[in-house]
Amino acid sequence: MSDPSDALASAKAAADRIVRLKRLNACLTPIKELRKSLTVQASTAHPSGVLYGMPVAVKDNICTLEFTTSCGSKILEGYRSPYEATAVAKLKAAGALIAGKTNCDEFGMGSSTEHSAYGRSFHPFDKTRVPGGSSGGSAALVGAGAVPAALGSETGGSVRQPASLCGVVGIKPTYGRVSRYGLVAFGSSLDQIGVLGRSVHDAARVLSVISGRDPRDSTCEERDSLRLPNVPESLQGFVIGVPKEYFPQDLDPAVRRACDRAIRLLRELGAAVREVSLPHTAYAIATYYIIAPAEASSNLARYDGARYGPRFNGSEDVRALYRTTRGEGFGPEVRRRVLIGTYVLSSGYYDAYYRKAQQMRALIAQDFRNVFDRGVDLLFTPTTPTPAFKAGEKLNDPVAMYLSDIFTVTANLAGLPAISLPIGRIKGLPIGGQLIGQAFLEDEMLEAAYALERAVPAGEEA
Amino acid sequence: MAVGWETVIGLETHVQLRTASKMFCGCSAAFGAPPNTNVCPVCLGLPGALPMPNEQALKLAARAALGLGCTVHPRSVFARKNYFYPDLPKGYQISQFEQPLATAGSLSYLSPDRGVATATIQRLHVEEDAGKSLHDRFPKQTAIDLNRCGVPLIEIVTGPDFRSPQEARTYLLTLKQVLEYAGISDCDMEKGSLRVDANVSVRRAGETALGTKTEVKNINSFAYVEKALTVERDRQIAVLEGGGTVAPQTMLYDSKTNGVRPQRSKEESHDYRYFPDPDLPPLVLSEQFIAEQQTLLPELPAKKRERFVEKYALSVTDAAVLTADRSVADYYEAVVHAGADAKIAANWVMTEVLADAKDHGDGLRVPPGALANLIGLVRGGTVSHQAAKRVFAEVAERGGEPRNVAEALGVMQVADTGVLASWVGEVLTAHPAEVARYKNGEAKLVQFFLGQVMKVSRGKADPKLAQRVLEEKLTS
Amino acid sequence: MSVTHDEVRRIARLAELEVSEDALPLLAEQMSRILEYVAQINSVPASEAVKPFVPGPDAVRFRADEVKPAPLAFGPAEFAPAFRDGFFLVPKLGQFEQEEG
Repeated sequence: MSDPSDALASAKAAADRIVRLKRLNACLTPIKELRKSLTVQASTAHPSGVLYGMPVAVKDNICTLEFTTSCGSKILEGYRSPYEATAVAKLKAAGALIAGKTNCDEFGMGSSTEHSAYGRSFHPFDKTRVPGGSSGGSAALVGAGAVPAALGSETGGSVRQPASLCGVVGIKPTYGRVSRYGLVAFGSSLDQIGVLGRSVHDAARVLSVISGRDPRDSTCEERDSLRLPNVPESLQGFVIGVPKEYFPQDLDPAVRRACDRAIRLLRELGAAVREVSLPHTAYAIATYYIIAPAEASSNLARYDGARYGPRFNGSEDVRALYRTTRGEGFGPEVRRRVLIGTYVLSSGYYDAYYRKAQQMRALIAQDFRNVFDRGVDLLFTPTTPTPAFKAGEKLNDPVAMYLSDIFTVTANLAGLPAISLPIGRIKGLPIGGQLIGQAFLEDEMLEAAYALERAVPAGEEA
Repeated sequence: MAVGWETVIGLETHVQLRTASKMFCGCSAAFGAPPNTNVCPVCLGLPGALPMPNEQALKLAARAALGLGCTVHPRSVFARKNYFYPDLPKGYQISQFEQPLATAGSLSYLSPDRGVATATIQRLHVEEDAGKSLHDRFPKQTAIDLNRCGVPLIEIVTGPDFRSPQEARTYLLTLKQVLEYAGISDCDMEKGSLRVDANVSVRRAGETALGTKTEVKNINSFAYVEKALTVERDRQIAVLEGGGTVAPQTMLYDSKTNGVRPQRSKEESHDYRYFPDPDLPPLVLSEQFIAEQQTLLPELPAKKRERFVEKYALSVTDAAVLTADRSVADYYEAVVHAGADAKIAANWVMTEVLADAKDHGDGLRVPPGALANLIGLVRGGTVSHQAAKRVFAEVAERGGEPRNVAEALGVMQVADTGVLASWVGEVLTAHPAEVARYKNGEAKLVQFFLGQVMKVSRGKADPKLAQRVLEEKLTS
Repeated sequence: MSVTHDEVRRIARLAELEVSEDALPLLAEQMSRILEYVAQINSVPASEAVKPFVPGPDAVRFRADEVKPAPLAFGPAEFAPAFRDGFFLVPKLGQFEQEEG
C-alpha cells in the first residue's frame, strides 16, 4: 500500500467492519467520530511508513490525541488526553491508522472485560462468553477480523489471556522494550504495552514499530526497535523447556491435549524439549496480587476530580470531592484493589506483605534465570487454564477471577517477553499456547512462534 | 527565658535548587510566571505521564551534601510519599526514604549561647516540590497553581541539636550561607526557595530523655523562626507546668498574631506508605560524578573566615563580615591582590563598599583594581581619607581612574615640602602667642596649628606631612 | 486473617475512597479473602530471601537541565473541570488546615 486512496479505502473498510461488529461492544468510539477521524488520518498518514494504511485499534487506557481515553472507567468519562503515548506516535509515524479505542476492564484490572464501566465486551464466537481481559475489546476486534492488529496492555497477562480466549496472537514484550509514556499506569513495574494480531507476523510488525528507546520513560531501555527475525526452516538447535508446575494434575484435559500436540510439533520441527521446574510458581498469583494493587493504589491516587475528568456532585469541601469522586467513579474491582494496595503498603503491614512480595518476586525471577542459564532457550506452557468462560461465572469470588492469570503473571513478575498463539479448539472455542522467552531475546521467541504457527492446526479440536 | 527547662529543637529545611528546569520534567523552574503556564503532562500528573530526573539537580544535591560534610551514597532510591492534597497532583510526592542520597554530615555554627556548636545533618535527600494552593483568592474555593509543582528540592534534616530558638536561627543563617556559597540555591525565604519546619520539645534541665515533640510549620522568614520557636516552647512549658501533657501534633505559626495553633488534625496522622518508585530505576552516582562535585565546591565560609584571619591578620568579627557574602569576600581578596594593604582594604570594604552596594542595589560598583589604587593614593598622602570617600562615590557612580577623578575634583593633596613650609610659616607667624604657649609645654596646640594650616591651604595640605613640617619648625 | 469493618474504614480514609456502611460487610469479607490468599507468601522461609528484583534499567538515566517542556496539545483551561483566571479550582479545604498562609 503506498497510495492515499488505498489508505482511505483501508480506513473505510475498517470502519465498516467495526460498525458491523457493534454487538461485541468492543469499540468505545462512536462510529461517526471514528469514520471522520479515520478519513482525516488516511489523508495525512506517511505513505512510506512500514504500516502505511494499517488500521490498528488502541486499548482505552493508552493516551491518544484522537478519541477519548477513559480507561474503561467512569472517573475518566469523556477525558481527552492533551498528549499521545509514544507508542501511538510511533504507529502514526509508521503510517498506521488509529482505528478507535477498545473496551477494557477498568484501568486494566480484570480478566474478562466485565469490569468496564461501559458494559462488558462479548466473545467474538459466543456472546454468552467473555473475550478475556483486561484487553478484551482489542482481542475481540482482532478475533472477529475487524482489524489486523490492536494495542493492548499487560500487567498480569492482559494481552495473552484474551488472545488465548479469542483465538488470536498476543505478545507481551520484555519489560522496558516499549515505552510506557502515555500508558495509563496500573502496576508500573509490571505494565507493558502489548500487541494483539491475527498472525504472529502482524503482531510482530506492530511490536517492532512501537518498540525502542524513549527518553520520556525512565524504565524504557536504551535500545533500537525490535529486529524482526525471518521465518525459520526448522527449530533445530532450539531447546524448549516445559515447566512441570504449569501442567498440574488438575489441568483441564482438553488444554493438556492441545499443549501436548503443540509440544509434539515443536519436537517434529527439530527442537529439543525437556522438562524443567520453576519451583516458586505456586506463589506467583499471591505475589502479583500484592505488588500490582500496591502500585495501583498509588498510581490511581491522582484520580480525584480536581484537575481533569468529570466532577461528581457539588462537594462542600475538597475532601468530600475526593471521596465522592473516587467512591462513585471507581468500579468495585478497582475499589477493592486500591483498598488492598493501600492496606499492604500501610504502616504495620508493609514488611509482611509488600516487602515479602518483592522478595518472592526475586525468587520467581531467579527460577527463570536458573532454567535459562542451563541451556534452555524458551519455555512452552498453556496460556490459560480454560477456554473462554461464561460471563458472570467468576464474578462472585475475586480470587477465582485472579486464578485465570495463573500461567501469565510469572512473565510480568520476571519482566520476560511472552507470546500466546492459537494452538487448537476446545468444543469450538479457541485455546492458546504460550512461549516465554529470555529478556530482550524476542527475536528467538518469534522465530519459534512463526514455526509453531505454521505447523499447528489451530482450528482443530484438541 | 524559662528557668529549669531545656528546649530541644530539630530542623527540616527544604531548599529549592538553582536549575533551569524542574526535577522530573523539562518545564521551566523559574519563579513568577502566570499561573499554570510552566506545566506539562508530567508535572500536571496527567494519566500516563512519567518522570525523568534532572542531572543538574542531582549535581547540586550532591554538591550540597558534600559541602555539609555528608557521605554521598553512590546508590540511592527514589520513593513515593503518598498523601492527598490539592497542590499534589499525583497524590504522591517523589522523594527518597529508606535509601537517601546522603547521610551523616555536620555543620558548625556560632551559637549565641555556647560558642561554636555543631549541628548533625542526619540526611539530605532529593525530592520534588508541590504546587501552590491559594485559599483567599476566590470565595469558598481553593485556587491551585502548579507552576511550582516539580521544582527540585533538597530536604536537609538535623538531629535534635538546638537548645534555643536563637541557636536554630543561627544554624539556619549559617546553612543559608553555605548553600549560597556553593551556588546551590538563592535561599530566599520570602520567595519560598528556603522553607523550614521545626520539631520542638522541652524537658526538665538535666533530663536526658526527650520530651514529646510537636512539629511547627508555616514559618516564613528567618525572623519568624525565632519567634515561632519561642512561642511554641513557651506554650509547651506552660502546658507541662500546668500539669498537662504535650500532645504530639502539628502546630501552625501565625505571624499576624505571633501565635501557634494546632493544625486541625485529620482523623489520624499521616501514613505515607513509602515504597520505592517503580517509575525510576536506582539513582547511581559514579565516583567521577561525586568527585567532580567535590572540586566544584568553593572554599566554604568557615574555612574562608579562618584563612582571612590568618592571612590578612583580621579580627574574627571583621573576617565574618567580609565573608558573609561570597562575592564580597572574592572582591576583598581581589582588592588586596591588586596591591592594597589588607587592613585598610578591609575597612574600606566593610564601610564604603558595602554601604554603596546596599544603597544602590547594583552590586560592587567600584572595580577592585580601582579601589586598590585609591587606597594607595590615600596611603601615599596624595588624597586625604575624607576626599577619598568623595572620589569613591564618584567612581562608583560614573567610573573613571581614581587619580584622574581626584584631580578633576581638585582634591589632590599637596605634599611638596616647600609649599607646606610656606603655609606653616604663615600660620606660625600669624599666631605668636600660641607659639609661645607651645614652647612653654602646651604640646596639644600642634592640633590648633594643623587646623590653621589646613584652613590656609584650603584643605589641600597633606595633614601628616604638614604636621611633621610643623613639628620640625616648632622645635627648631 | 480477618479484616475488621474498622480497618476497612481506616483504609478507605487513607485512600480517600467513600465506602458506604452497607458496602462494608461484603468489602471486609472480600478483602479478608484476598489477604488470606496472598498471605501464603509468608510460608516461604526468610532464609531463602534474595535481594529485591525490579525489572528495567539498573540505573536511572539523567536528563539534561534544559527548558524543553513535554508537549501539551491544549492547556489546563481546556480539560479542567473548574478553571478561572488561570487557576484550577476546588472546593475549599474544610476539614484540614491550610499549611501556607
